[in-house]
Amino acid sequence: MLKCDHCSLEVAGIKAVIDEINGVKRVFCCNGCRGVFRFISSEGLADFYGRRESSWTPGPPDESPIEFSAFSDSLRPAGAEMEIDVVIDGIRCASCIWLIEKLLLRTGGVNYARVNYATHKAKLRWDPKTTDVSGVLKRIKALGYTPKPSLPGTREEELKAEQRDLLVRFGTAAFFSMQLMLYSVALYAGYFQGIGEKTRLAFQLIALALATPIMFYSGNPFIRGAVRGLKNLSFNMDVLIATGAGSAYLYSIYQIFAGGEVYFDTSAMIITLILLGRYIESGAKGRSSEVITRLLSLNPKEAKVIRRNNEPGTQSTDIHHTLEKENNELPDKEFKLMPISSIKVGDYIQITPGERIPLDGIVTEGASEVDESMLTGESNPVAKGRGSEIFCGTQNLYGSLIFNVKRTGKDTVLSKIITTVENAQARRAPVQALTDRVVGYFVPAVLLLSIITCIVWLVYGRTLEEAVMNAVSVLVIACPCALGLATPLAVLIGTTRGASMGILIKGGDIIERAKRIDTVVLDKTGTITQGRPRLLICKGIGVSDDEALALASSLERSSEHSIAKAIINAVTETTSYAVTDFIAHPGLGVSGKIRGRPVMVGSRAFIQKEMSPDKVDSTIGPVLLSRIKSQELSGSTVIYLLHDGSLTGIFVVSDEIRSEARESVEAMKKTGYDVFMITGDSQETAFSVADSAGIRHDRVMARKSPTEKAEAIKAMQERGRAVMMVGDGINDAPALVQADVGMAMGRATDIALESADMVLMRGCLVLVPDAVKLSKKVYRIIRQNLFWAFIYNIVAVPLAVIGLLHPIVAAVSMTLSSLCVVGNSVRLKRG
Amino acid sequence: MWSVFVLIFIALCLGLAAWLIFLWAVRSGQFDDMEGPKYRMLDDEEDRTGRD
Repeated sequence: MLKCDHCSLEVAGIKAVIDEINGVKRVFCCNGCRGVFRFISSEGLADFYGRRESSWTPGPPDESPIEFSAFSDSLRPAGAEMEIDVVIDGIRCASCIWLIEKLLLRTGGVNYARVNYATHKAKLRWDPKTTDVSGVLKRIKALGYTPKPSLPGTREEELKAEQRDLLVRFGTAAFFSMQLMLYSVALYAGYFQGIGEKTRLAFQLIALALATPIMFYSGNPFIRGAVRGLKNLSFNMDVLIATGAGSAYLYSIYQIFAGGEVYFDTSAMIITLILLGRYIESGAKGRSSEVITRLLSLNPKEAKVIRRNNEPGTQSTDIHHTLEKENNELPDKEFKLMPISSIKVGDYIQITPGERIPLDGIVTEGASEVDESMLTGESNPVAKGRGSEIFCGTQNLYGSLIFNVKRTGKDTVLSKIITTVENAQARRAPVQALTDRVVGYFVPAVLLLSIITCIVWLVYGRTLEEAVMNAVSVLVIACPCALGLATPLAVLIGTTRGASMGILIKGGDIIERAKRIDTVVLDKTGTITQGRPRLLICKGIGVSDDEALALASSLERSSEHSIAKAIINAVTETTSYAVTDFIAHPGLGVSGKIRGRPVMVGSRAFIQKEMSPDKVDSTIGPVLLSRIKSQELSGSTVIYLLHDGSLTGIFVVSDEIRSEARESVEAMKKTGYDVFMITGDSQETAFSVADSAGIRHDRVMARKSPTEKAEAIKAMQERGRAVMMVGDGINDAPALVQADVGMAMGRATDIALESADMVLMRGCLVLVPDAVKLSKKVYRIIRQNLFWAFIYNIVAVPLAVIGLLHPIVAAVSMTLSSLCVVGNSVRLKRG
Repeated sequence: MWSVFVLIFIALCLGLAAWLIFLWAVRSGQFDDMEGPKYRMLDDEEDRTGRD
C-alpha cells in the first residue's frame, strides 16, 4: 500500500495519482489531494508536512458548500476594516493553525488572522475594498477546514465571561494576599520578639485595609452564595467559606480594638485558595460547544418548492429555469426558492445532488442515494426511490429527487433527536459532589460546636464577650483553606493524565459517576465495528482473483459509493482498464464497457436482470455459495461481477469488527462489568457481531431506534444499574445523555461528541476500561485530599474551644493542609 | 521608624501597580489563549499578525 503524501490515507497503486512537484515524485490518493499539495507548495508553505504530528489520521473530506448567509450575523465593522469571529472545524494540531494563519495572511486584503489554540475560534480582519467575507472563508475551505459561524450570546461566551470574572477576582485576591502576608509575618515576629504597641496597631490597620477588598470583592460570590444557601437552610460550600473567612475578618477587627492578635491572613487565604480551585475547575470544564445550535443553523434555510399549479402569481425566472435544466433529470418542473419556515406539509420540494434535505418527506419522483450517516451512524448510503422516506439533515448524493413534505419544524426526526438530547441534558440531576456532601455535615457540626463552646464558657462564669470570642475562634480555625483545592486539583491532574492517554473527560462530576459504573452498553456500528466497510472475500470465477478485482475496481473507480471504495482500496496492483459508457444505478450497482465488452458490478438483484437466479447459483458452485450465504447472514454485502454476460467474480464486503473488540470486551467483563450491545440493525447482524466480540446473545438489543436506545438504558437504570454508553452516531446521542456516563469514539459525529461525557480520542475500545480505572483512581485521590484538607484544622479545633488559638496555629494548619493536598494530587501524574 | 513607613508605602505602591498591570492583561485578552504561545514562539518567520 502506498500512502498519500498529503492526507496519509493508504492508497492502492491502481488508484494513486502520481505527480512531480518541485522535482520530487509524490503519490496522492486523488486529484483533490494533489491539488491541495500543489496549492500549499506554491504558497511556499510546504513546511506544513514536516510540522504535522505523526499520529495524524485523516477524516472524511467535507465537500458541502459554505453558506455565507449564516455568517452575516457575526460580521462587524472595525474601523475601515471588517471583522469576524469564526469557529474553524477540522483543526487537529498546532500545524493546522499555523497553516491557516499563514495562508490567510497571504490572502490579499487580510490584515489580521489569529486562531485560538484552545477554542479553535479565529478572529479575522480584512480590508473590504480588497476582499470580502466569502473570499476569506473560501481560502479556509480550500485547505479543507470548515469555517462555521460563531454565534454571539451563546453558552460559550457566557462561560468565557464567567471565567474571566473568576480570574480577575482570583488575581485581585492573590495580589492583596501577597501584600497582606508581609504584615502578617511582621506581626508573627512581633508576637515572639515583642513589638511596639503603635507599630502593631499600624500593621494591623494596614492588614485590615488589604484584607477588605479580598473579603468584599473577591469573596463577594461566596457571601452571596452563602446568603442564598442559608435562605434554603442548606449548608453548602459557600456557607462554610463565608462563615470561615467572615468570622476571621470580623473577629480580627474586634481584636484590633481589644489589643489581641489578628487573623486577616486566614480570611484572605481561604478566599484566595478557594478561588484558585474554582478557576482551575472552570478551565477543566473544557471547551463547551454550541454544536446543537450550529447543527441547526447549517441546515438549509431555503428550499426549491415545485410550483403548485393552482397558485396564482408565481414568477418563474429564466435563470432558475436554465439552472434547473442543467442539474436536473426532471426538466419539466419549475421551482421557486422559498424559506423553510413557510413550507407546509404537502408541498413538493426538489433536491439536487449534493444538497442537504431540508425537511422530512416521501420521495415522489427521481432516484438517488442519500447519506444518512449523521442520523443513523450507518456509513453506507441508502438508496432512495419513489415512495422512500427521506429525513431532514441528511445529504443527497447523486441524483435529483422530488419529495412530498410530511413533517416540518419541530416534528422532523432530527429536531426530535435534538429535543431529546436537550431535555435529557437539562433533566440529568447533577451528582452532588463529594465535597458538598462532606460540607453538608461539617458546617452544622462546627456551628453546633461553636454554640456549645459559647455556652460552656458562660456556664463556667466567664464574661459574655470572652465566651463569644472563643466561639468565633472555633469558626475561624474550622474552615480548611485547602478544601477548595482538594477536588479541582485532583480533577485537573487526572484529566490531563487522561488526555495524554487519549481520554477526554469533560468535567469533575463525571469522575464521580464513572466510578459507580457496573454496566457497559456498546453501540455496534462504529464502536464494536470499524464503521468502514472492507473487502473480505475476492473470488474470480473462470479468471484469476486479481483479474476479477482489476475489472471490478476499474469500473468502481468512477463511483463514490462506500462499497466501491472498499473494493478500490483492496487493489494492490496497478492494472487498470479504460471504462466507457459508465452508468451508475443507484442502490444496485454500476455498469460500463471494458474493451468493448459489457461489465456490470452490483448486487444480486442487479445482475439477475441479465442472468437467471439458478444460473447464478450453479456458476458459483455449492461450496462458495454456502460461504457467501453465511457471510450474508453475518451482515456482509455480496457484490457480483458480470463480464460479457457471464459471472466472473464474487466480492464480499463487510464492516469488520475492531481488532481489539474481543480483547476489550473480555477486559471489561474481567473488571466486573456487564457488557451489552445495542444497535439499530437486524437481530442476525447483531448476533454475528456479538459472537465475534464475545457478547452473549441475551445481552444484545437489536432494532432499536435512537429514542428506544435511550429508553433501554433508562430501563436498566431503573433496575438499579449504573450504565456507561459507548457510541458514535447522532442516533446514539439520546442514549449517551441518558446513560450515567456517555462515551463517544473519536470519529463520532458532532452531536455525539456534544452529548458525551468522555471522548476517546483514539478510536480504540481498550481505552474504555482504562477510562473507568482512571476515574476510580482520581476519586480515591479526591477522598484522600479531603482528609488532608480537614485533618489539621480538626486537630486545631480543641485549641480554639479551650481558648488557646493563635494566628500561628491557623497559619501552620493552612500551610500543611495545602501542601498535603497538592503533593497528594501530584501522585496522579505517575502511572 | 519613619523610613519603615516610607518603605511600606513604596511596597504598597509596587503591589498596586502589579495589580493594575494584571487587570490590564486580563482585559486585553492576554489570558485568553493559554495554549498558543508555546507553539508560536517556535515560528521564526516574520510575524505579520500585528498587535491587537
